[in-house]
Order: sequence, then structure tokens, then C-alpha cells
Amino acid sequence: MSQSPCCPKCGAPLLEDAPAGLCPKCLVQAGFESDKPPRPEPAATAPSPASSRFTPPEVEELAKRFPLLEILELLGKGGMGAVYKARQPGLDRLVAIKILPAEIGHDPAFAERFAREARALARLNHPNIVAIYDFGQTDGLYFFVMEYVDGVNLRQAMQAGRVMPQSALAIVPQICDALQFAHDEGIVHRDIKPENILIDKRGRVKIADFGLAKLLGLDQADHALTQTRQVMGTLRYMAPEQMEGSHEVDHRADIYSLGVVFYELLTGELPIGRFAPPSKKVEIDVRLDEVVLRALEKEPEQRYQHASELKAGVDHVSATPAGTRGPAPAGRKSDLPPSAPDARLSRCALAGAIWASYFFVALAVAAGILYWANNSDRVRIATAPAHTVQIPNAGGSSMFGGLIAYEAVAPIRLAVPITPIALMALLQQSISWGGLLIIAAAVPGLIGLAAPFGTTILGFSAIHHIRCSAGKLYGLPLAVFDALLFPLLLLDVLLLAAGCGLAYAAWMTFVYAFSMGRDQQQVLAILFLLFFVGASGALAIWLDWRIARAVWRNATGLIPAPKPAAAAIFPAAPRPIEPPGGLGKEGPEHHPLDARESRRSVGPTSAAAGDSAGGAAPRRTADRPLLAPDARLSRCALAGVIWASYFFAAFVVAAAVAALLYHH
Amino acid sequence: MSADQFNMPANVEKRHFATTRWSIVLAAGGVGRNGCRTALTQLCEIYWYPLYAYVRSSAGVREAQDLTQSFFAHLLEKRTIGKADHDRGRFRDFLLASLKNFLANERQKACAQKRGGKSVRLSLDFAAGESRYQIEPSHALTAENLYERRWVLTLLDQVLERLRLELIQSGNAEHFGQLKGALIGETTAEEYARAAAVLDITPAAAKQAAYRMRRRFRQLFRQCVAQTLADESDVDDEISRLLEVLAG
Repeated sequence: MSQSPCCPKCGAPLLEDAPAGLCPKCLVQAGFESDKPPRPEPAATAPSPASSRFTPPEVEELAKRFPLLEILELLGKGGMGAVYKARQPGLDRLVAIKILPAEIGHDPAFAERFAREARALARLNHPNIVAIYDFGQTDGLYFFVMEYVDGVNLRQAMQAGRVMPQSALAIVPQICDALQFAHDEGIVHRDIKPENILIDKRGRVKIADFGLAKLLGLDQADHALTQTRQVMGTLRYMAPEQMEGSHEVDHRADIYSLGVVFYELLTGELPIGRFAPPSKKVEIDVRLDEVVLRALEKEPEQRYQHASELKAGVDHVSATPAGTRGPAPAGRKSDLPPSAPDARLSRCALAGAIWASYFFVALAVAAGILYWANNSDRVRIATAPAHTVQIPNAGGSSMFGGLIAYEAVAPIRLAVPITPIALMALLQQSISWGGLLIIAAAVPGLIGLAAPFGTTILGFSAIHHIRCSAGKLYGLPLAVFDALLFPLLLLDVLLLAAGCGLAYAAWMTFVYAFSMGRDQQQVLAILFLLFFVGASGALAIWLDWRIARAVWRNATGLIPAPKPAAAAIFPAAPRPIEPPGGLGKEGPEHHPLDARESRRSVGPTSAAAGDSAGGAAPRRTADRPLLAPDARLSRCALAGVIWASYFFAAFVVAAAVAALLYHH
Repeated sequence: MSADQFNMPANVEKRHFATTRWSIVLAAGGVGRNGCRTALTQLCEIYWYPLYAYVRSSAGVREAQDLTQSFFAHLLEKRTIGKADHDRGRFRDFLLASLKNFLANERQKACAQKRGGKSVRLSLDFAAGESRYQIEPSHALTAENLYERRWVLTLLDQVLERLRLELIQSGNAEHFGQLKGALIGETTAEEYARAAAVLDITPAAAKQAAYRMRRRFRQLFRQCVAQTLADESDVDDEISRLLEVLAG
């Protein structure tokens, strides 16, 4: 280098104490700036293994140490040792011998750990786990003798391009089986990654190197990094709690690693930083997103708690043929979202149902009382002025009207202040069993006007919570029933009343148009009644059916893939896009603002809010989600408000008309 | 997380490139426990020169050596690092402030022979430090600025040394010498070609190697800076401060 005393970049004079002859200012500047590579780097991210500190012994050398085995060839080597193919002549079967790095033997405590670990691993007798046949040490060289798997590992399969997303759905359940089996035995793998997942020629999956990570001290990030560089690749599959070196690592770390592998199988990429859900990168069923993302939760409590649950999630998606759009047809059992094994009944739905049943019981009781009261007053009613029309069900309608009045007046003082408070409490907090008891006990005071509203609101709320709970809550049919019971009842009542009214109007018209005898009038009345009430009844039933079906479809429909704009909504969340809660009555078309209807719904994370899964530590993201720039107002909400305003306007007009008529 | 302990061949002199972190010391609240005493010792062993030079500017060689050693002994024996210390955030500031306190106390006591720390004695190469002090060009700067300037240079030396050792260990010993100019970025194609010729590789490969070196340098640099801070997110701030120091 030239002896120029000036820095070529900044021109400042280079002093004698310049580090390595370079301008210190430019060096610090270089340390500051972010890099731009000169051109796309060739895939040389893996450091060359030229400097692996562990050179495995040659085949001949190894054969000397294992006189009872026929060593055939070296299969491969890595940070955890080397693997050879060998043959047991006596049993005439192929085995694999794994030699651990020689430095391991220097640790005196290692021998004991090794023996303990090997015994534990030997208990793992499962078709999807590579079996351990023998273990020991010769001349300071520790080894395992294991089942030989004639196939490739998942990394090789992925690199050869032979793994399609469908294959992922076949591979992952087998891994789950293996993991669940091992976890039941109390053994955690801690190093699940494609290199450790073998696939034999018959397509059977086998997991290798169980527990070796812990044995070799490579299961935590800071230790792993002090070993060979080749272990660096493992870090990408490590669960967050493992990376932090926390001692709270349990079997759920394996589930996280499996999630990473799953994601990589589906998309070919690793889920790092802000990553997109798999369905946005590849053409797969959107329901898989929930499965993968739940496995990748940063908090262990939010993940699947057992590998079998993950398998159940995957199997459900594989079994039902629904595609990536459109709701499932109504009425089939498979419509319901899969529930986790520890799911509980939505308390909102239950509360709504209890409330409704109280309402009807009270109705029946009140009806009974009024009937008795009516009977004793029959003489008085009969002598009332004869302008009461001889409609056969006059008793019924006056009874019904009286019932409404009875219901409304007495408990209204209690119902009105308590109901909104109770509802707010129910909807915002996780309703505890104590709260449920309070409802049961206090309900007599709340019967009146409250039940129709309370039950309906609870029902819709329950639907939302169940959808958002990702299987933690069940009871969707009950919730839908709650939600629709009173509105449809009201609809039916109104329609029947309209039918009666029309019947009456038609009858009056006929009676004044044609003169008839008393008997004929009666017959006509009955005919008209049957006709109009029958028609309106049929209409009511038909409407009930259509509405119920629509709501059911919406409640159980597949969560459609959100539009790209939704990505802006939760920048702080661990994953960028949320499956929407909300009812999405607009059907398949989903837009970001529906997220506003589903408060705090970030998929499984929303289990922390509202009717949540067993009161887990609430992880509240922002109460109101941030909006995408192109968000628009929910059309459902707008339509509802407009309709309500029509109702009130009509009400006012009718009142005005009635007042005018009255004056005349 | 400290990702800076890579395997070294046995013949390299054992330097502590390990988890020396100012935050470990602070979190421990002082030098009570062995673990963080080691951490603090390591930090001191790396950054002693600026302190020595600071003392040396107002003392003779012998006295400067004595004072430096006793200061470190005093620091490493001190039980707690008080939470009220304003300069906790940066090891650099903390060290200088402690030194000033110490020197003020020492002058009051006028006990220059006090050799504290019978158990702690850092292995500092004073001869090298003295010769470095001698060859330093003169500056019209305050002692504090000089201290900070030396601090930056010490830091850079350390980073470059680590980079060089890593390259040696990975079998690319000559890379450092030939491509170090590329660390600051302005290397012409001709210079790459020349370096490539010496290294017996293609110019494109030389460019790639230089890029990797630059990236690794940046990582190491940021790591070294972070080790002296209580809060890793202050790294950018600290680097800006270092730039200011050099510019001034």
C-alpha cells in the first residue's frame, strides 16, 4: 500500500497511530452504515466446512474399534458427529453408527450423562423414531448404534425440489406422532430441523438424534455458538425461549421448531421477522395458516400444548375438502371449527341460553296466572261494550297483550339499570362462574324486557368469540340459537299479527261489501284467518329458515384470505396479518375494517380477550386495531343504522298519523 | 446475546473475546460475584491504554504505571457500582469518571506507594503503552477529548485484530493485509485486480471477499461497542458520539 499520509476516502491526514494504517474516522463510519452488497451474493451463506474442527476417523480405523461390525462407508458428518453405514453380520442387518466428536469425551461428567440419555432414548420405540440399538464408548470415542434409514433427510428432499405442499401434509402428522410419543416419555428433542428428519424409500418419516442436542450442550443459543459454526443453521429452528437461554424450555419448543419446518416445507422459506402466512405465498388451504401460525407463537402458552393437537389441526384441514374461498355448505358437522381437546363451552352462549329459558318459564308462569285471573273475570269481559269484534282468538290476543304489560311493568325498575351494566360486564370481561351464578340468581329481576336483548347480544358475542378462539371454545350451534331466537320470534310475531290484521281487514271489507248472516260471517272469518295467518305463518317460517341459514353459514364459514391492505393493521404483532373475527356478514368479501367489529382479534392471540380460554394471562394488543389506509366503513353496520332510522322515522310518522286521526 | 466466541486454534494466545459486557457488570450491581469480576477485568484489560495515557499526561512513567494499577485494583475491589452513578450507561464515561475520582482522592491522601489489590493485578503491557504514548502526535485537545480519542482507536485496534485473527483462522491470512483498504469502501477496480493477483484469486472473488470482510468488520465493531454499553439499543448513539470525537 502506498505511504500516502492522507486517507483516500475523506482526505484527512493519516496519523501515526491510525489503526492498521486506516483512517479511523472512515472505519467508524463504515461500522455505522448499513451494507449494500455489490451484487446479489451467490448462495454462500453456509460457511464452508473446511474448518470443521472434527475430523471423523477413516473407515478402516473405525473398523478396528468395532470388531463385531462391518463398517461400510461414511454417510455424513456434521456438528454433532459423524455417521457411518455398517452391517451386523450376525443379524445380517444394516445399522448406522454415530460417532460423537472426540472433544466430548474430555468432560468427565459426560460419561454419566451419556449413559443416562442413551437409556432414555432406548425407550423410544416408535415407527417414526430412529431406534437406538446400542451405545457405548471405545477408547474415548462415544458412539450410538442405530437403525439405518435408507432414504434422504428432509433438507436433501427440499433441495432436490421433491417436496410439494401436499407432501408436507403427509409428513407433518408423522412427525407429530413421533414427538407426542417422545414427549409422553418425557423426552424433548430440542433440535428439530430438516436435517434430523429422515424419509425412507417407502415414504415413512423418521426422526433422528433425539435428545442429542441436550447431551452435547447444543440446545441453547449461547452454547451452540461457542461450538462449530455449522451449528448456526440450527438457530433458525430454535424456539424463542431456547434462544434466550431460559431454563423454562419444555416440549413446546419442539412444537415451535416443527412450526418452522412446516412453514419451510410449505413455502420454501424460513419464517423470520415479519413473514407472510403460508397461504399468501403458496396455493394452499387458508386454514393451514392458523395451524402454522399457532405453532409459531412466541409465547409457549399460546402455542399448541401438545403435538397431537397440531396433528389434529392438520388432519382436519386434510380431511375436509373445502378450498381457499367460500363458506362450507350449512348443516354439516364438519362445518364446525375443530376444537382443541381442552376446549370449553362458550360461557356467553350458555348464559344467553339460560336467560332465554328463564324468559319462557316466566312467560308460561305469567300466562298461567293471567288465565286464571281472566277466568275469574270472564263475566266482566263478556259484558264489555260490543265493539269488541268476535274474532275467535280474542281471548288469546288480549291475554298476550296483558302478558306483555305484566311482564314489562313489574320488573322494569330492576331490569333497566341492571341490564346494560350486566351486559357490559359480560361482554368485556371473561365471564366467570361467579358471574354466571349471579345471572342465575338475579335473573328473576331481569326477566322483563331484558331477555330478548340480552340473549341476542350474548349469542352474537359468543359466535364471535368462538370463531376467534381457534378451537378453544365450542358451542357454536347454541350461540347461533341464542342470537337468533328472539329476533326471529319477534319476526314471527309481527308477521302473524300482520296476518291477523290483514285477515281482519279483508273480513271487514267483505262483511261491508256483502251482507251475510252471522254464521256466514263466522265461516268467512275463519277462512280468512286461516288463509292470511297461514300465508304469513308460511312466510315467517321461510324467512326464519333463510335467515338462520345465512347466519349459520357466516358463523361457520371459512375465514377468507384477507386482502393485502390488511397487512398494515397490526404492525406490532408478531405476525402481520390477522384472521378476522367478526361475523363478516358480507360473506366472503372481507375488508380490514371488519377487524373493528372483532375487538382484539388477532387469531389465537385473541384468546386472551373477552370470552377467553380459561383466563390465561391477558395479552392485550391495542384495544382498537390500527386501520389500513384504504379501510372503509362496514356496510353491515351502516345498513343496520339506516334501517333503524327508518324504523324510528316510521314510528314517528305512524304516531303523527294516529294523533291526527284521533283528533278527527 | 454475545455471538463472538468462535473456535480458536489452540496455538492462538488466549484472549478473552468472550462475553465481556458492561451490562453484565451493571446487572450484577458490582464486582461481588466472580463472573462479573471477570467481565470487568476483561473490559479493563482491553481499554486500559486511554486511562494510562490520561494519567501519563500529568505524571511520569513510573508514577503513571503505579497509579493505573492501583486504580484498577481499586475498581475491581469495589463492592458495588452505585445506582446513582450518572455515567453508568457507557463504560467509557464510567471509567474516566472513576479515574478522576480516584486521582483526586489519591492526591489528597498523597499515598503514591499504596499498592492495593494484593489479589488483583492486571497484566498490562506498560512498555508497549509507553512507546505508543511517545509516538502519539501531539494534539491541541483537552485531556478528556484525548481520552475519548484514544478510546476509539483502542476500540478500532481491537476490532481489526479480531478480524485479522478470524481471517487467519479460516485460512485466509493474506486477505486482511491485501483487502483492508476495502474496509472503508473506496477501492477501485484496479486495486481489486492488484489484490486479486497477489492473492491468486479472481477479481470478482476478491470483491466478494472484501464485501464479506466489511460486513464482518461491521458486525464485530458493533458488538465491541455494545459490550461497553448498558443498553444495546444505544449502539448507534455511541457510534455517532465516537464519530464526533474523531471529527473534533
